[in-house]
Amino acid sequence: MNDSSVTLDSADAPAIAVNEPIISIDDLSFSYDLGKTNTLRNISLEIPAGKVTAFIGPSGCGKSTLLRCLNRMNDLVDTAKVTTGKISILGQDINAPDVEAIELRKHIGMVFQKYNPFPKSIYENVAYGLRVQGINSKSVLDQAVEESLQKSALWSEVKDRLNTSALGLSGGQQQRLCIARTIAVKPQIVLMDEPCSALDPIATARIEELIAELQQDFTIVIVTHNMQQATRVSDRTAFFYLGELIEYDETSTIFGNPKVKQTEDYVSGRFG
Amino acid sequence: MAKHFQRQGRRILGLDKQSWIKGFFGGNAGISIVVLFLICFFLMLEAFRFFPSHHEGLQVYRKSGQEYVGHLMEQADGYQEFVSFTNQAYFAEYDARYTKERGIKDSWDALLGEIEDEGEDLAEVLEDARDEEDEAAIAEAEGAYRTFLKDLTASVSRQSIDSFGRLEGHDDTWEKLLLAAQTYDPVEEETPDFVAEAIQVQKEGMHSFTEAKGEIAAAGTELKDLRSKLVAITAKIAEDAEAGQSARARKEALLAGATKMEGEDKAAALEEAEKIVIQDEFPFGERVQPLEEAKEAHRQAVAKMRTKLAVGIAKLPAQLESDKAAQLIAQIKNGQERFLDNVDRSLEKAQDWEFDKDVGFFESVAKFFFGRDWITNSSWTNVYGLLPLLTGSVVISCIALFFAVPLSIGAAIYVNRLATLREQNLIKPSIEMIQAIPSIVLGFFGIMVLGQHLQDWSQAAWVPEFLQIKDRLNAFNAGLLLALMAVPTIFTLCEDALNNVPRAYTEASLALGASKLQTVTRVIVPTAISGILAAVLLGLGRVIGETMVVLLVAGNRISMPDWGQGLGLMMQPTHTMTGIIAQEMPEVGEGTLHYRALFLVGLVLFSISLSINITAQRIIKRLGNV
Repeated sequence: MNDSSVTLDSADAPAIAVNEPIISIDDLSFSYDLGKTNTLRNISLEIPAGKVTAFIGPSGCGKSTLLRCLNRMNDLVDTAKVTTGKISILGQDINAPDVEAIELRKHIGMVFQKYNPFPKSIYENVAYGLRVQGINSKSVLDQAVEESLQKSALWSEVKDRLNTSALGLSGGQQQRLCIARTIAVKPQIVLMDEPCSALDPIATARIEELIAELQQDFTIVIVTHNMQQATRVSDRTAFFYLGELIEYDETSTIFGNPKVKQTEDYVSGRFG
Repeated sequence: MAKHFQRQGRRILGLDKQSWIKGFFGGNAGISIVVLFLICFFLMLEAFRFFPSHHEGLQVYRKSGQEYVGHLMEQADGYQEFVSFTNQAYFAEYDARYTKERGIKDSWDALLGEIEDEGEDLAEVLEDARDEEDEAAIAEAEGAYRTFLKDLTASVSRQSIDSFGRLEGHDDTWEKLLLAAQTYDPVEEETPDFVAEAIQVQKEGMHSFTEAKGEIAAAGTELKDLRSKLVAITAKIAEDAEAGQSARARKEALLAGATKMEGEDKAAALEEAEKIVIQDEFPFGERVQPLEEAKEAHRQAVAKMRTKLAVGIAKLPAQLESDKAAQLIAQIKNGQERFLDNVDRSLEKAQDWEFDKDVGFFESVAKFFFGRDWITNSSWTNVYGLLPLLTGSVVISCIALFFAVPLSIGAAIYVNRLATLREQNLIKPSIEMIQAIPSIVLGFFGIMVLGQHLQDWSQAAWVPEFLQIKDRLNAFNAGLLLALMAVPTIFTLCEDALNNVPRAYTEASLALGASKLQTVTRVIVPTAISGILAAVLLGLGRVIGETMVVLLVAGNRISMPDWGQGLGLMMQPTHTMTGIIAQEMPEVGEGTLHYRALFLVGLVLFSISLSINITAQRIIKRLGNV
C-alpha cells in the first residue's frame, strides 16, 4: 500500500485519498422504536480515509449504535429507523432504497465486542466471507486465508492447525481470528466495537499493535471505553454524550485541550 | 439441656415438618420411577415366557409331521399361483382376440335365456301341438310364438344382453342376432350358423392355449391330493397330542370335582375320570408312519409337477394380443426358475424331516425375530414372525419422517430466523395446536377423507403406475398422518435448538456480507445440527409408538412388503407392531402363546423407543451446548 491513497482491491468504488472523508454523516437522528424517542440526535461528522477514528463516551451515549448504523447492522432490529439525516459512504447514501445491506457489508467489515468465531475450523472461519460470495477455488481461498492470518499476526501461531476448531484458541487469538476473518474479504472500512473489552492486558496490547498495522490498509472506526486505548491507537476522536456528538477533533486535541467542558470532565475521569 | 437453638414445632412419627415436606416431593418422583420399573418387569416377565412355549409349540409342529406337510403346502401353494396366473392370462387373451366372437356367443346365450324364461308356456303349447300333429293348432301356436319373439326382440335391452359391450361397433351383427332370435324354434333348439361358426373359430384359435392351460392345471393333481390327505392326518395327530397332554389335567379336575359331589353325579364323574387314559408319552413315531411312507409319493408328485409344468409353460403361446396376458405369461416364465429352485429346496427340507429331531432353542428364537409370517387363529398352525410387523412400522415411520422432517425444520428455521414477530405469534401456536388433535380424530379423517382423495389423485395421468393406489388404506396414508403428528414435536425441539445458537454467530455472518439464507444454511443449521438430529430422533420415537392412526389407516394386512414394487411398496396396506397389539390383545386368552407373543412385540417396541430416546439424549448432552 502506498501512502497517498487507500486502494481497495475488491471495490468497484473509487479510491479515496488519505484524509479525504470516506464516511460523511449529516444531521443523523436514529431511533430504535420507530421514531418515538431518538437514540442518536442530529449527528454530523466526517471520518477520514486511512485513519483510525475512535468513538468514546459513557455507556448508553450511542457510540455503538452509531457504529452499527454504518454497516446497517441495526436492520436486524425491526423497529429501528433513521429519522433524519443521512450517512454517505464513498459518496453513496447507504440508506437509499436501492442499496443492499449485504453488498454494503462486503465493503464494511465489523469486529465485535465479544470474540465470536464460528464453531468451524480456523481455515473455514477465515474463508467464510469469501465462500458466501461464491468463491470456492481452493487456491484463491488458501492464499486469502494465509494473507489474512499473516496480516492479523496469527499465521505463525496457527499455521499448523488450520483445520482444528477455532474454539480451541485462546481469547486473544480468537479475537485476532475474527479480525482476520473480517479483512479476508478486503473491506475498505473496518468497524471495531470495543474489540478488547473481553481481553486481558497482554492480548489487548497485541490487538492494539495490530490496529496500528492495519491502519495502512484500512480505514478503521473503533468504539472504546478505554480512553488510554483511544489515545494510543486513534488519530481522531469523537466524544458522545446522551446520543449527541459533543466534540470531534484530533485525538491529541480531545485529550490535551478539549474545547467543551463536558469533554474535559469525561477525559479527565470526573464522570463516566 | 440446651435452652437455645432447639428445633421448633411438633414431630410426627419422629420426623419434623421439613422432613415430611421433603418426603412428599421425593415420594412423587419415586412413584414414577417405581412404576416404570414395575412396567418393565412385568413386560419382560410375560414376554420372555414366550420363548419356552414357542419352542415347545415348534417341537410339536415337528413331531406331529405338520412341519413336513408345511413344506408340501408351500410347494402346492406356489404351484397354484401358476395355475391362477395361467387362467387369468387365458381369459385376458381370449377377450382380446375374440371380443366379437365371444360377444356373439354370450349374447346368443343371454338371448336364449330370456326367450326360454319368458316363452316357456308358449313353447310347451307348440310342442304339444306338434306331438298331436294338429295342423291348425301348430299354425296357431307357431304364430303366437313368432309374435312373442318379435315383441321380445323389439323390447330387449342391448345393455343387459351384451353386458360387457363386446358387440359395440358391430351393429349389423347385433341385428343379425335379433333376426336369428326371431326365427328361433324352441323345439328344434338349433343354433344359428354364424353363432356356431363364431364358437368354432374361438375354439380353434384358442386351441393351443387351452391345451397348455390344461397341462398346467393337471400338473399338480397328485401333489394336491397328497396334500389334502396328509393335512388331515397331521391335523389329527396334533389334536390328539394336545388332548393327551391335557388328559392329566382333565382327570385331576374331574377327581377334584367329584369329592364335592354326592350320589349319582359323583359316580358319573368318577367313571368319566376313570375313562381318561394317561399316556406317559404320545406315540408320535407310530402315528407319523404314514408320512414316512408318503415321502416317496411326494418325491414323485413333485417330479411330475416339474415336468408337466415345464411342458405346459413351454406350450404357452408366444404371440399374444392382450398386453395383460403377455405380462402375466412373462411373469410365469420369469418366475418358473425361481419357483422350481424353491421347490427343490423345500423338497430337500421335507425329505430331511425327522419327527424326533430336536428343535434348537436358538432356532425357535430366530423364528420369531426373523419369521416372515404372522398367522394367528389359523386352523392349521399359528406362526409368530416379527418381520412383517417390524418392516411395516419402519416403512410407515420412514414415510412419516420423509415428510415431517423437511416441513418441521423448514418451519422452525422460518419462525426462528426469518419471520416477523407477528408471524411468529401466529405460526408457533398453530403448529403446537396440531398436537391437540386426538389421534382417533386424525385416523377418522384419514379413513373418510384423505384415503379417498389420495386414491383419486393417484389415478392422475402423470403419476407413474407403481405409485397408483389400489387400496384406500395403506402405509402412505398412515405415514402422512403420522408426519402431521410428528411435526409439532420436531418443530418445537428444532426451534429450541436454533434458539440456542448464539446471536453473535448471526451478527458475525451478516457483518461479513452473508445473506440471511446463507447465514441459516452455513452457520446456524450446522451449529444446531445436533439439536436438530435429536429432534428428528424424538419425532421418530413419537411416530413409531403411535397406535390409533396406524390401526385405523394402515390397512392392517400382515405381509412382508413386496420389494419388487420398489417405492410402490409405500402404497401397499401394511400392519405395525403397535397396531397388532391393539388389534389382537382383546381377543387372546391370558397365558396363551399368542398372548405372550404380543407381549414380546410390545417389549421389542419398548426397546426401540427406549434406545431412540437414549440416543437423542446422548446427542443433546454431548454436542448440544455449542
